[in-house]
Amino acid sequence: MTISATGESWPPARSQWLRYWSAVPAEQTEALAADIAGLCEVRDVTLPQNGLGLLKLPDSALNDLYFLGEVPVSHAHVEVTAPDGTRSEGGARLLDDRQSLARALAVLDATLAERLPKHEQALDLLNTGRAAILETRAERNAILATTRVDFSLLGDGSEDDDE
Amino acid sequence: MGYVAIKGGEKAIDGAADALEALRASGPVSGSEPLSLNAIEHQLRLLTSRIMSEGGLYHPQLAALAIKQMQGDTLEAGFALRAYRSTKPRLLETPPQDTGNMRLIRRISSAFKDIPGGQMLGPTHDYALRLMRFELAEESPEPFRKMASTFLKNAPEEALPDSFPKVLDALRSERLLPPKAEQRNPAFDITRDPLIFPVSRSAALATMARAETGSMLAIAYSNMRGYGDIHPTVAELRVGYLPVMLPHPVTGELTEAGEVLMTECEVIAMYEPEDTESAKDAAPEFTLGYGACFGHNETKAISMAILDRALQKGMRDGPENPSEDPEFVLMHIDGVDSMGFANHYKMPHYVTFQSDMDRLRSTREKYQARGETPQEETHES
Repeated sequence: MTISATGESWPPARSQWLRYWSAVPAEQTEALAADIAGLCEVRDVTLPQNGLGLLKLPDSALNDLYFLGEVPVSHAHVEVTAPDGTRSEGGARLLDDRQSLARALAVLDATLAERLPKHEQALDLLNTGRAAILETRAERNAILATTRVDFSLLGDGSEDDDE
Repeated sequence: MGYVAIKGGEKAIDGAADALEALRASGPVSGSEPLSLNAIEHQLRLLTSRIMSEGGLYHPQLAALAIKQMQGDTLEAGFALRAYRSTKPRLLETPPQDTGNMRLIRRISSAFKDIPGGQMLGPTHDYALRLMRFELAEESPEPFRKMASTFLKNAPEEALPDSFPKVLDALRSERLLPPKAEQRNPAFDITRDPLIFPVSRSAALATMARAETGSMLAIAYSNMRGYGDIHPTVAELRVGYLPVMLPHPVTGELTEAGEVLMTECEVIAMYEPEDTESAKDAAPEFTLGYGACFGHNETKAISMAILDRALQKGMRDGPENPSEDPEFVLMHIDGVDSMGFANHYKMPHYVTFQSDMDRLRSTREKYQARGETPQEETHES
């Protein structure tokens, strides 16, 4: 593990992997998962599924639980066995319709968790996803920074009407 | 109510569908490009937001498809999204998600100017003149494509956090608001269980979260105009992306599965004198209303927050105005329900109307038998 210039540890914790890989174009993650499946045996622990999930929130006024609505969910849980017999379980739950994508990310998850063949490429895709997330974050930061209200200007005379 | 089965309508119905599609493709310029879902999702983002919240499903691409398919009819588009969701299996119920973690693009307060973290106006029409921008009618692709990158380039270099503390928490720390209550009741699933009155607040919030914007606004507006007594102040209005955390299938650890754009609003209403013996010694506190919905839809979130506060009063003391009556509000704000009922009057009612005509003729015959002349016949003669 290394520490980046921003103080972030690398590679990130497993709980961050899905977020990063989800930010990569699906063709890239599915292509890598297919490559891994060509080298290793991939078995579904549970059949990949897609459907809906109810999004539950506590309201911030009185703290009552309620459902805001539904979100698309896909789910996959796989076991990957490398040629040397090393086994690893991987899984993915995504807010996405594509169960093929969930399965691909579950394969990458298993591969990176036990450093199976091609885990370096899985790590590279984490980096690609991280860059995409930072770009999105920069866009949102720009919106906030551009529209931040500086109330200290009020009444200091610089923008006051002379009349 | 009676209906009659007929044959021979199939061709006409097929033709109606073809005509609808033909009009979608027709126009003064032949060979114009069909709308892409990407263009609808992003360039009509507020419309897409509305369809997602009224359809009750966070799916920007399908909401864009529904808008395209229904040719901009918001009620029909919401209906299509609801119909789609009814075909999908329910896989899970998320753990409670913390909206304090929303990655914000807008946050304002009309209660305080110095809120913790500051106010950010974000993308809004609030301060723009409502004058037509005719240059958009002839917008060329080149500057359009550069707009986002230019905005990013010109933005001030200021690193801000993704999320900010809530204004309500600051008020709670000053004991101007009641402390957060324990979560006692499970959330009510309006997609599986019918509303049977009296309903829980959870059911009311879920119903309002997927209600039709205009219906909610109308009833909330009645309260604002005087058929009610809420007088709200917006403590905080937030728009941002909520990270949705789900347990990892292998480790069980909460892992970010994606994010959902949502709008959230808390309103503060004036404190009320308490009449109960136990409350007499308690210090008066402000009361609150809460609104939230999928996407970016501030009118809906504010309306919901006002109605939530009005319904709390109605549930506690009994309704004095329509906006305080849970049954009146919750049974009349769903767009799919109300649109369906209104539009069903277009469907053939030949048998029921035949019955109405028979009754009218029979009444006229009774008039004539008594020697009286119906008024209309006098006019005709």
